[in-house]
Amino acid sequence: MNWLITTLSSTVGRKFVMGLTGLFLCFFLVVHLAGNLLLYVGPEAYDHYAHTLHEQKGFLVVAEVLLFGAFIVHILLAIKLSRGNYAARQISYAKASSKKESRLVANVVAPEAWMFWSGAVVLGFLILHLGDFKFELWWGTSLQAIDSPYDKAGVILRNSLRLFVYTLGSIVLGVHVSHGLASAFQSLGVNHPKYTPCIHWCSIAFGWIVGIGFASFPVIWSLTESAAAP
Amino acid sequence: MISPAHHNLSLTLKIWRQPHADAPGEFRTYQLQDVSPHMSFLEMLDILNEQLIEKGEEPVAFDHDCREGICGMCGMMINGQAHGPDHETTTCQLHMRRFEDGDTIVIEPWRSRAFPVIRDLAVDRSAFDRIIQAGGYVSVKTGQAIDGNANLIPQQDQESSMDAAACIGCGACVAACKNASAMLFTSAKVSHLVQLPQGAPERKKRVLSMISQHDEEGFGACTNTYECEAACPAAISVSHIARLNREYMKAMLTSKE
Ligand code: FES
Repeated sequence: MNWLITTLSSTVGRKFVMGLTGLFLCFFLVVHLAGNLLLYVGPEAYDHYAHTLHEQKGFLVVAEVLLFGAFIVHILLAIKLSRGNYAARQISYAKASSKKESRLVANVVAPEAWMFWSGAVVLGFLILHLGDFKFELWWGTSLQAIDSPYDKAGVILRNSLRLFVYTLGSIVLGVHVSHGLASAFQSLGVNHPKYTPCIHWCSIAFGWIVGIGFASFPVIWSLTESAAAP
Repeated sequence: MISPAHHNLSLTLKIWRQPHADAPGEFRTYQLQDVSPHMSFLEMLDILNEQLIEKGEEPVAFDHDCREGICGMCGMMINGQAHGPDHETTTCQLHMRRFEDGDTIVIEPWRSRAFPVIRDLAVDRSAFDRIIQAGGYVSVKTGQAIDGNANLIPQQDQESSMDAAACIGCGACVAACKNASAMLFTSAKVSHLVQLPQGAPERKKRVLSMISQHDEEGFGACTNTYECEAACPAAISVSHIARLNREYMKAMLTSKE
């Protein structure tokens, strides 16, 4: 067991686990987005999907335990790593400027420089999101009265606070994974002249898809607010 | 921008001055006239120091040795960039023609908890020596030198190992990394030896001890920002860090210790 503790307290081991959990969470995002896209297919398709999913009790328990586990480990390690990394500099530079060719101008907007903070924003979004959809907190009895998951989603997405937090959270999540996906491969030791350029571009594309994909729901639902009102 | 070679420069230098490790430091501003664009950056500092000595002031302490880009001693942060604006170039190989007349140049020491300032721009990089001592070696038979062809090494492996061995241990990777991580340095040392048959006996022990020493010294973790690669005067690739990650996890999962 000693070796496990050593691994989890070493910089390389921690990053390895960050990569593993990160990849798993990215996989979850793909499944989640695919499910959500059924909202565009229509109420029947989405409701059918939601009901079928909720009937798989055993699968859901396993999936949720794995997901929560991955989230907790990812977050705890992020805090540990960031604290260590911050302490390692000790005194910051009076002047700092990137030497990366792609970053000479846009140093400040580099996603990789803000992973901890983008992750923190995503965590805030996630808490609100779980409170809305999973636990139905903050809604009194108004959601319980609705049967169809499609209609529930509509009520939540049309809320103006949700429009703001969900849109921002989704975009920041896109930024986070645009670096995170490629970074996970590197942390797991996957770097090869044949695949690394592709992983890099796929990661950026994935960031855009996740950002636009998830942000589209609150934006489109609030735009269709008046049209959909009974 | 390359300024005309015949035009001498007037510069404002903002240099970090710190008498010793425990004393507080501060930036001091110096004006330097008539700097030849043909000078190297270190020669420019030499001129400044001559003037300071003439005035009875303390010269600026900075590390240097070979002045030809191979020893790795001359690291400093120049306008927020490790070894200045040029790629694959050490400070001693940086020329003043890279600057414009009237420029202000901010010069700072490497900033890292693991590299305490000795004085002014000189930092203590013995943390790197300790990482090497922890595992950056191979055990060899004593006695007669073995036949040159006894160890067959595929050319690709040998080239890749040599690419890693090009690391001069200057510390620019640590200086440029937002986490002050020495992962590029450590990976270069691991990658250099692990790709050769001579490195095989200590393969697992090496990577485990070197990472444990790296962490003990107080360097940060790699967050794959790749500033190190851009700052490295020896063009060490971050692919060596990936190899280090593989080697570390393999060793951790399979070594008997
Ligand atoms: S003085 Fe030796 S590398 Fe610059």
